[in-house]
Amino acid sequence: MKHLEQIEVKSLSVTPPVMAAGQSAHPILSQIDLTIHKGQWVTLLGRNGSGKSTLAKAIAGFRMPGITGQIRRQPRSELHGKPIPIVLQQPEASMVGSTPWEDVVLLLEQNELKADSIIGRAESALREVGLGDRLHQPIETLSGGQKQLVAIAGCLAMQSPLLVLDEVTSMLDPEAAQAVLERVRSLHAAGATVLWITQRLEELPPGGRIAALADGRLIFDGSAEEWFDRAAGGTLESICEKLGFEAPYAAQVAWELEREGVRLRPFPFTAELLAEAVNNYER
Amino acid sequence: MSADWLLDGVSVYTEGNAERKLLHEVHASFQAGKITLLIGKNGAGKSTLLETMAGLRAVRDGSIRLGEDSLWQPHRRNKRLNRDVLLRLGISMQHSESQWFAATVREEFQYSLKPYALDKATAAQRINRSLANVGLEEAVLERDPWTLSGGQQRRLSLACLLACEPEWLLLDEPTAGLDAAGISRLCAVLQAHRAAGRGAVVATHDLDALLPLADALAVVSGGAVREAAAAAAALSHAAAAPQALRALAELRAAGAAVPPETAPREGAPWPAPREIAAALAAAMLAKPACARAAVSAAVVQPVSTAPVPQAAGMQLASAAPAPQDAGMQLASAAPAPQDAGMQLVSVSPPFGADEQAAAADDSQMTSSVITASAGGLRSHSYEPQSESWAITTPAEGFRSHNHNPQSESSAIPTPAGALRSHSYDPRALIAVYFLLAAGIFTQRTLLETGIAAGLILPLLVPFRAFLKPWTGMIRAYAVLIVIFCVIGGISLSPLSFDGEKALPILIRFSKLLLIMLIGMPMLKLMSPMRLQRAIEQTFDWLSRLHVPIHSFALLVTLIFRFIPLLMGEWERFAKLAHARGKAVTPVKSVPVRMLRAILIPYVRSMLRMAEQMADALEARGFGYTKRKPVYGFRLRVGGLDVKLLGVAALASVLLFLIAFFL
Repeated sequence: MKHLEQIEVKSLSVTPPVMAAGQSAHPILSQIDLTIHKGQWVTLLGRNGSGKSTLAKAIAGFRMPGITGQIRRQPRSELHGKPIPIVLQQPEASMVGSTPWEDVVLLLEQNELKADSIIGRAESALREVGLGDRLHQPIETLSGGQKQLVAIAGCLAMQSPLLVLDEVTSMLDPEAAQAVLERVRSLHAAGATVLWITQRLEELPPGGRIAALADGRLIFDGSAEEWFDRAAGGTLESICEKLGFEAPYAAQVAWELEREGVRLRPFPFTAELLAEAVNNYER
Repeated sequence: MSADWLLDGVSVYTEGNAERKLLHEVHASFQAGKITLLIGKNGAGKSTLLETMAGLRAVRDGSIRLGEDSLWQPHRRNKRLNRDVLLRLGISMQHSESQWFAATVREEFQYSLKPYALDKATAAQRINRSLANVGLEEAVLERDPWTLSGGQQRRLSLACLLACEPEWLLLDEPTAGLDAAGISRLCAVLQAHRAAGRGAVVATHDLDALLPLADALAVVSGGAVREAAAAAAALSHAAAAPQALRALAELRAAGAAVPPETAPREGAPWPAPREIAAALAAAMLAKPACARAAVSAAVVQPVSTAPVPQAAGMQLASAAPAPQDAGMQLASAAPAPQDAGMQLVSVSPPFGADEQAAAADDSQMTSSVITASAGGLRSHSYEPQSESWAITTPAEGFRSHNHNPQSESSAIPTPAGALRSHSYDPRALIAVYFLLAAGIFTQRTLLETGIAAGLILPLLVPFRAFLKPWTGMIRAYAVLIVIFCVIGGISLSPLSFDGEKALPILIRFSKLLLIMLIGMPMLKLMSPMRLQRAIEQTFDWLSRLHVPIHSFALLVTLIFRFIPLLMGEWERFAKLAHARGKAVTPVKSVPVRMLRAILIPYVRSMLRMAEQMADALEARGFGYTKRKPVYGFRLRVGGLDVKLLGVAALASVLLFLIAFFL
């Protein structure tokens, strides 16, 4: 199903050139193969310094030194080989306009979209992320979460083939993070392809795909089931634990239940899923 | 021996002219040997509270004491901090990584330790110990702190704090950006700190990690601090609620067999996964036929079988904000185990029984879980608690925070009325400016200048709100005029004052003041992007002559955008240098000896910010050469612009007439 492919990464490596003599070149990413299909939600996990952000930038098509391998985007979009706009951690730095409206309009202008479509697209994208009544509110009066939504609206307005969100909730308080996450989930439900980069396992969506990076290598690519799967009746470590991630409380309860002989499927890793699984057990 | 903090009626306002209350009559105390968590939404005042305790914010009213000592030195005209108190606390502010002052990690430590004047051996010992505590190797001592990874830099900033061995740790979001290993290190450090009889106040959203450590909890909201019982208050913070408590609430709502109350335990105020699993499994593994019956029998909270549409935890949250007092009481009512290592904080005096009953009734409407445990509330909330986390708030004061509308309204400053940055065409504004400025310049005598002022000032009335932030500057300029006039008018031999000489100075400077006054609102009336568009539309023809007018216009936009960021950054560095250097001056003035320390990291941080911005701009397609500029919108001269121009032209004509005929 070639035409369904959205983004294909083949043997991607990034080894930044050495600046000072005596230092050895250390690859940030090595031999990454990853294909993201249309409409998927991929959660990219990895600890500090594992190369998550570099991979995100590479996938988005950033120019960076020392990059080798292939990145194919299909179908070709209006971006014409330009990078996909991505949403970064720091909401403050990426805002250029002084209102949400200005920011998105500027983005579209700079990306050379058709002049007469710009305003309409910008406004509908801002409405889509729920900022419809704040089009002209000064940026400095927006909360961190709202700023991230402005950046996300920019990506939407560009009709970007993939939403790349690089730890967008890490600087937000839980309420704002929750709001942003929910908004992106609903965009996903409406058909958007999402690459969600995070360190927080509680942000995993039910039934989503997980990719995990460690030391620049893709060490896991599969479902949440496999990620949390403890073989041998819950006594062996799951991949999640092997990689040093703190499992959500619900997952820990589910593991303990497995030890007791209660096997819950689908594997619950959120409070809601756990309650549901317990309720539906053997009924 | 460690001492307790006592905050008595502390109010803090924003600096500058736009007054905004950040903290409102905070009464609180923090006990030594305990870890107190500050929770609350972003912007509620958690960071402000920590910074105030560290002397980084000027206090308008109230007093802050650490044991017997006052944080601010009393009876001095120039406010000074008490150095003894400063040396006993260590603060780590938000995003405290990547703010290094020195070339090596060792020098970083030395900078932090300098105020303590330790001998070499002790210093070295402390450095090594704190490195070990945070899990860094000694080899990093010779490295440039900037070459450490983000996680390592976070650990280093904690190590610098620990090396000072302060009695009190004031930490702001210490878990942000830490991975699981880093967080468990941090928790170990905090536990050791407490075990040594010292205290900590920690502002955090990460209740999953830190609630198990907490001895007390304070909720900061709208600039007020109220104290709360641990688990329930945490749960009422919806998204911030620890996963465990959310999971328990969900399970209860689903009618599952969950242990009712957490048994007295060390550490976390929630059962370990194993206990929950054991309880669940017991019910679930019963014969399938009777499984349902077993489950319902095992349900401990009878009400929870009632149809609960949503997560119980979420409902708690929605119940809490509505009646604040009730929310609070309810918070302490939910299954918050006092005996689980958590100190229930007493509210003095307790609310009346009627109120409580009413609160319970209210809650019946919204959440069955709350009702279920309301009985528990009555049983213990009246008990005077001998060991409670003492709060000296008088009841009236306490109530007044909760009903204080100001604390809510402080969120968004509304700019003057309907006038916004997109009301006028920047070109019209600039034309108006030139018209009026030219008119003012033609005046020659004092009388003419006076008339001009009489004409211009009423024109500024609709824009007065935009002038307000500049009040200080205007005042300073007026003082300057007086000084210049005095100097200009004085003759020394013989000593006399010559009004004739002073007059031209007065006239000239007054005219400049008037012109400044017209210019001030303009900055707020045009947004950078509109200015950019104005430049592009006006000078578009220049690009045919290969003048890079579009790059220039974009540059103007970015500079405008960058300036507030740079000012914010400077403030942050000033605070940091103060905190680490234990300066006793109010933070507004950076001591000269610290300038050198700040300047280099500031420039570095500016460059980093520029890099981030460049990254972000590239990520958004700004860096790629354009075929032809695309304008999504163009400026058009509108009715308001015409009106403004008309008024300005009229005023200008009048000014010219005055100048020529008077």
